[in-house]
Amino acid sequence: MTDRPVVSDLQVREVIVNTAFNCGESAHIGGSLSMVELLNVLFGEVLKHRPAEPEWPDRDLFILSKGHAVLGYLAILHLYGYFDADKLATFQTNGSDLIAHPVKKLKLGIESSNGSLGQGLSFGLGLAIGMEMKDEDRRVYVMLGDGECNEGSVWETAALAAERGTHRLCAIVDENHFRNDGANTTYANKIKLAGIWRAFGWNVIEIDGHDRAQIRDAFAAARAHEAGPTVIVASTIKGRGIDFMEANNDWHHNRITSAVYSECRRALGLEPVDG
Amino acid sequence: MTDTPIRTMGGFADARDHRHEALTSRTYGRALLAEARADPRIVCLGADLSQPTETFLFRDELPDRFFMMGIQEANMVGAAAGMARCGDVAFAHSFCVFITRRVYDQVAMQVAYPRLPVKLAGFIPGLTTPLGVSHQATDDIALMRALPHMTVIEPSGPEQVAAVVRAAVDHPGPVYLRMQVASARPDETTPLKPFEIGRGQVLREGEDVALLACGMMVEAALSAADRLADRGLSVTVANMASLKPYDTDLAVSLARRHRIVVTAENHSVIGGLGSMTAEALMLAGAAPRFGMVGVQDVFAEGATTDYLAEHYGLTPHHIVQKVLSLHAL
Repeated sequence: MTDRPVVSDLQVREVIVNTAFNCGESAHIGGSLSMVELLNVLFGEVLKHRPAEPEWPDRDLFILSKGHAVLGYLAILHLYGYFDADKLATFQTNGSDLIAHPVKKLKLGIESSNGSLGQGLSFGLGLAIGMEMKDEDRRVYVMLGDGECNEGSVWETAALAAERGTHRLCAIVDENHFRNDGANTTYANKIKLAGIWRAFGWNVIEIDGHDRAQIRDAFAAARAHEAGPTVIVASTIKGRGIDFMEANNDWHHNRITSAVYSECRRALGLEPVDG
Repeated sequence: MTDTPIRTMGGFADARDHRHEALTSRTYGRALLAEARADPRIVCLGADLSQPTETFLFRDELPDRFFMMGIQEANMVGAAAGMARCGDVAFAHSFCVFITRRVYDQVAMQVAYPRLPVKLAGFIPGLTTPLGVSHQATDDIALMRALPHMTVIEPSGPEQVAAVVRAAVDHPGPVYLRMQVASARPDETTPLKPFEIGRGQVLREGEDVALLACGMMVEAALSAADRLADRGLSVTVANMASLKPYDTDLAVSLARRHRIVVTAENHSVIGGLGSMTAEALMLAGAAPRFGMVGVQDVFAEGATTDYLAEHYGLTPHHIVQKVLSLHAL
């Protein structure tokens, strides 16, 4: 493992809020905030990667299949040193390659373009099979949303990966219980998401997606499980960390105004910004 | 705590909810609801985009005929076909990319082949979104018009939406509606535009140049016509909202009466309005000087619509330049 910066979850949230505010446009805030701890533990303690050498051939691969949450992903990539603050400040501005969904750019640490839900896990399966064929000591991590798991293509991959026993593949479901329109009612009563993954033959680890110790243990257990793929079904709170955004789907995709920005800083316990 | 610069200039002084503010027109949502109130056959299916497809209006007033399928467009289209088979007129909704490209085989086999009354209502056509390539439909006209039995319509703007929805209800077979959510309703002084499947509409008569446009490029063509008039060229502008069946008679007659024909579309020049016009003219033996304005053979990027129009060739200026280059030949 190379030296890594110590990044706090609060820092990640601050960068998310600052970046959304700076761009002045609507951004996917709620689903970015819900996955902060998951991504931060992954990039800080689990993923084999070298931000100074983003195309390092031995790196693990991370795919943000729930691509609309790109803001949280970019905050992480910035804080781990893939690009500087000036680059991040171009988010959602004309001419920037940091737009509202991930656009593949290996030099920035972005492994694939996403934004059409339900495609990242298939790609991840292919990456894992490719690594397996060369017997490479690398792994693939794919972040999905629970809303995204509505897409049938997710389950095509799920069945095939389990049947093949593709253990280099680790899925993380940021189960924040919402989608664009509101509650994710597909798994509300008669079926539960973790149960479906279990039925599909995956090693299922259910955790609190904001508990760093549980996240750490889950990734370790996933790595140790060599019989097949693992999914970490992480129960999270959409908008986590900013009280008025928590479980409030108005913040699925919205813009942060000056007044809201001040409230965000207060909610995060940060000093007000002058000006 | 971080070195991220704070640009306090970048924010907004007020705290309005942009998410809902952007959807003030609801032209489509109102039109569909009006049809559904009068026609109990109409059902509405959604794939988690009730706000941006304006179908929350339908959901709130006619919940028994509204079906939220979740984020699963392929399932929605297949189910819409089944419901249509039972006598419903099924309107299925998503963004243009997801209601065409993502579900193409379901549309082909479950909707177009059996010629069922499924109406595929798509939003954010072409480069009208900052959300990037995943959300930019620049190939949907080409895809949908290649399907037998499919009708393809792109209204020029909110002033034509109600007529288009009515036509889709009345048409017995499958229809693809390519629509843009307007930020404002047409004001009361704007005459509503009629629409008839298979018919284009001449909006302005001229003698030298014919501009054939669809969707947001109709307005761009009208603006280009003004600029060309300043340069002494007399320009006809036609709204070719019926993309399939295409108004071949109109296209050919315009080609025979004008020295220059230019098409303009918020779509790839491969397989869209430009292609269908070229095919029609060639087959009829009409040979004007001909040009196509539209997205070239590229994927675009995420940015504002104005920026993208400028960078990918969709402005009145681009139409003017295309006409002038043909004029100079």
